[in-house]
Amino acid sequence: MQGYPEGYLSERPRWTTPAGLVNLIGGPLGLVGRRLSMILLDMAAVALLWVLVTYAFLWYVHGDIGYTVIPWWLFGLFVFELAAAWNSFGVAPSQRLSGVHLVPSEGGRMTVWHRLLHFLAWHVSVLPIVGLLGRRPWHERLSGTRTKRVESGAIKPAPWYRTSVGIYAAVILVVVVVAALGVTVSMANLRRLVTDAWRAGNIWRAFFSPDTTILQTVVRDLLVTFFMAVLATAFAVVVAVPLSFLSARNLMKGPVGRSVYTALRGAMSITRSIEPIVWAIVFLVWVTARRAPFAGVLALVVHSIADLVKLYAEQLEGINPGLPEAITATGGGRLAVLRYGVLPQIINPYISFTLYRWDINIRMATVVGVVGGGGIGQRLYAYLQGHMYSQAGTAMLLIVVLVWAIDYLSSRIRAKLA
Amino acid sequence: MAKPLSSRLAGSGVTLKARALSFFIDWVVWGYIAYGVMFFLNYYWYTVHVDWWGTLTLPTWGWPLVVLGTLEMAGLCRALGRSLGKRALGLNLVGEHGQRLRRGQRIYRFLLWNITLPIQPILYALRRPLLHERRSSTQLVHSPRAPGVKGKSSLLTQWGIMAVFLCVFTVWLGWLITEINVPVLISRAPTAGRIWSQMVSPDFRYFIEPDPVFALRGLSYSILNLMVVTIFMALLATILGAIFALPVSFAGARNIMGHNALGWAVYAVVRGLFNVFRSIETVLWALVFAVWVGWGTPFAGVLALTVHTIAALGKLYSEQVESIDPGPLEAIVAVGGSRWQVIRYAVLPQVVPSFWAFTLYRWDINVRMSTIIALVGGGGIGDMLFYYKNEGLWRMVGAVVIVIVAVVWSMDYISGRLRERIA
Amino acid sequence: MTEPYLRIEKLTKVYERGQVLALDALSLDVEKREFLVVIGLSGSGKSTLLRCINRLIEPTSGRIMLGSVDLTRLSPERMRKMRRRMGMIFQHFNLIRRAPVITNVLTGRLGYMPGWKAMLGMFSKEDQDRALESLERVGLREKAYVRADELSGGQQQRVGIARALMQEPEILLADEPVSALDPATSHSIMQYLEWMNREREVTVLASLHFLSLARRYGTRIVALKDGQRVFDGPPAEIDNAKFKEIYGEDAEEVEVR
Repeated sequence: MQGYPEGYLSERPRWTTPAGLVNLIGGPLGLVGRRLSMILLDMAAVALLWVLVTYAFLWYVHGDIGYTVIPWWLFGLFVFELAAAWNSFGVAPSQRLSGVHLVPSEGGRMTVWHRLLHFLAWHVSVLPIVGLLGRRPWHERLSGTRTKRVESGAIKPAPWYRTSVGIYAAVILVVVVVAALGVTVSMANLRRLVTDAWRAGNIWRAFFSPDTTILQTVVRDLLVTFFMAVLATAFAVVVAVPLSFLSARNLMKGPVGRSVYTALRGAMSITRSIEPIVWAIVFLVWVTARRAPFAGVLALVVHSIADLVKLYAEQLEGINPGLPEAITATGGGRLAVLRYGVLPQIINPYISFTLYRWDINIRMATVVGVVGGGGIGQRLYAYLQGHMYSQAGTAMLLIVVLVWAIDYLSSRIRAKLA
Repeated sequence: MAKPLSSRLAGSGVTLKARALSFFIDWVVWGYIAYGVMFFLNYYWYTVHVDWWGTLTLPTWGWPLVVLGTLEMAGLCRALGRSLGKRALGLNLVGEHGQRLRRGQRIYRFLLWNITLPIQPILYALRRPLLHERRSSTQLVHSPRAPGVKGKSSLLTQWGIMAVFLCVFTVWLGWLITEINVPVLISRAPTAGRIWSQMVSPDFRYFIEPDPVFALRGLSYSILNLMVVTIFMALLATILGAIFALPVSFAGARNIMGHNALGWAVYAVVRGLFNVFRSIETVLWALVFAVWVGWGTPFAGVLALTVHTIAALGKLYSEQVESIDPGPLEAIVAVGGSRWQVIRYAVLPQVVPSFWAFTLYRWDINVRMSTIIALVGGGGIGDMLFYYKNEGLWRMVGAVVIVIVAVVWSMDYISGRLRERIA
Repeated sequence: MTEPYLRIEKLTKVYERGQVLALDALSLDVEKREFLVVIGLSGSGKSTLLRCINRLIEPTSGRIMLGSVDLTRLSPERMRKMRRRMGMIFQHFNLIRRAPVITNVLTGRLGYMPGWKAMLGMFSKEDQDRALESLERVGLREKAYVRADELSGGQQQRVGIARALMQEPEILLADEPVSALDPATSHSIMQYLEWMNREREVTVLASLHFLSLARRYGTRIVALKDGQRVFDGPPAEIDNAKFKEIYGEDAEEVEVR
């Protein structure tokens, strides 16, 4: 703001203006928040390892699932102390993430004394959060240290097995795999994998001796699946296109627009994280299991809408703003801008996303059938339940063919559109 | 005839493959229409509605009739204007010197086409002009839209009308086939509303404490326990899948396998297997493994997820390997590096970041899949979900679904953030 | 005259696809410690010639004699051994962009290492010291552990030179080493090549786009056109008429300062 007369700027002190006030309070609060979240990250890292070790220990030694063996306050203390020690005596994940390390503020080398002081000062600084205020937090001031950006280049960085974060990552990976193996794989399962291979062998043999007598039935079911996917995609597009305009950040401005945007995106995000199978269950109760394909279509529609709105809206957000600007500059109204500035940029991506979704819907339609959503999936499930493996093999073979064909078709058309 | 002989030869620039493909598209369109007509006959007119495919069946002599009829319709459409198949491949029918055709000429071509069809392949093999083209002085050409000429609005062309018709036809047909019934959807809305209202007031009684129902089977199932198991399933499947997919993916990359016969063969086999295994969904794999290693065990789920993960990741990895910058490869070869050294120093560093990104993405998908795989005997949180659903305990279902959504959402977020950092 | 150091006899390369004749029975003798600059238009066969010498591209016919060894007849394994003695510098640097600079330099030693050690990335202490030395030489010691893609174009090319230095090459093949760089950087890169040529007694074969650079650094210039030699001699001999013959009638000489 150089070159302006003094009186041209605000005469009031900065902090009396709303923006200044927000800055005055928000700035330090933001700083504390950032520092606190970094410390919480380190504590979470320690806690995660501890919980996982406990989990694995309880599973292997006592044979049951559990999470704690010590009182929670002891656990909290342990996590806090370890995080403090990690920050003082090594390079903690948070320090690694922000690319800094601890150095004495007056230069020279870090001594054990520095580190010990840092560790002790941590307690007076972090526990009553105020210590995190200011340019340098208390624990750094008290111990005469500061954080400095690591500038590597000429110095060889330590290999991962010499850094605490590297060792931590390796240990946690091992513990996770050990725990995961423990709870998901049992000896009995492994034994069956070998001893019951004949059973699987039978299945495979039956799979490869297809039963042609049921071909007509299966093809009809395949058609149902196909139409389920087609209709679901078609209906989803009709709903998703208008919704996508309402959930594009760059088109929805102002308080009303922003809240509509947030609400829509949130709803779509939740809808998307519920699998179509779960939707199918709900709809099967709703429209009764007698209308299985209908329930399947509805489930796919709901999931497709959520997915397509996200894809479409992201495309809208990524458009080149120059073109709408040019149309506005020629005096075009809102609709003209939409028609000539936005539409030409999104039409091809929209089509290609739709084809992509159709491709996914074909796969999903087979899966939805398994819960009773109609089509080939339902038939396949029935065959497998009835141990009619060669019939199941036929169905599976046809599914592969259909999925393959649609996959090929959609990718070819998409390649042409791009 | 000022035109050189070569352009008068068979195909006049349009290969037989393009002709056949475009004809095939038209034929499929008419076959589809025939199927639909048959379906409508059944549905609206012929019989009492028992099954959706009804009871009207073609007599044996009907099949050749249908085949012949659709062929004729396809041929007629192609001769009379720009059919969908011709539009798809960018072909058009014009006169000998590119002029517009008279209707008589078009019909003549169609009739000739009927008569000469059996001998066309022979003529083509002899590189002679196709008989019906020569006699009717017409030719099929690649025609991009003429610049500077305003084309007809596509809704008024034959292919445009056909496309719109097919869309309407498909929705109508699909509507009947998938038994869409809006009145039921509305009339039963209160039932659904009841379910929803119960689901949004969830019952978290068994979040930490195991549900005694499962204790009868000697299982200690609480939502938390099973959710952890579910995450572990996804994790294990992703790690195992990535470990197996990594080495194999190099065998599925064109540029690594080289251009000799063996390389081609290995490439084709690996890619083919990836594709087949990928097009069988995880749920279907779970059905197989549930029979094999035990219904309802998480292990079956892990195996199913792993198999699908190997195929999906393998394909993504291979494509990534194929798209690397060949420069560093050349550099390593130039310093005297062996094939393995090329992979280690030129290929791996280039692909590792995107491998991580793909693996995280896959882990995301696996978490979603593992929550429902229990339905087909794969174990995990789905066991509780489907048990409560079958018992109609919708409050419990609500609790499980909320936990699933929360976990899937946060995993999605974490993997998304990590992927951003890597890229 | 005695046996030349590197003799290229009737070298021909036909690219299968498109039936392009890239090199047309080209014969060339190169003396030891020469700084030979190959010039010519794009597509005149410069790159093909250089890549045929270390057989990154398999020649269709002809012989390349290095001393008494026919390079075109070596088995892949022996060719691999031979490549250790030939450094190469590329137009687009061809560095492993995501690896640290030092790793890029160390790859110059790959030809000398047993396979399993290379697989595990176990470079010996001497190699590591030497890599740092080479980087020191090209003025990049400070950047040793930085990722290669964080460097500028000129710096990346210097890493390429350090990589070639690690090989202790007898011959250096430089394929348009400066055409992706700005003029000032170009001179610094060319000076490194000149240094290698003079101090390390390396025979340099470089292809260049700019005649002024060729005149300034080359001890001998060979001009190619459509895979054939149209000029061969000391830089001073290229006059305006010769220039037009090489680059076509419409060409205008530009100076790189």
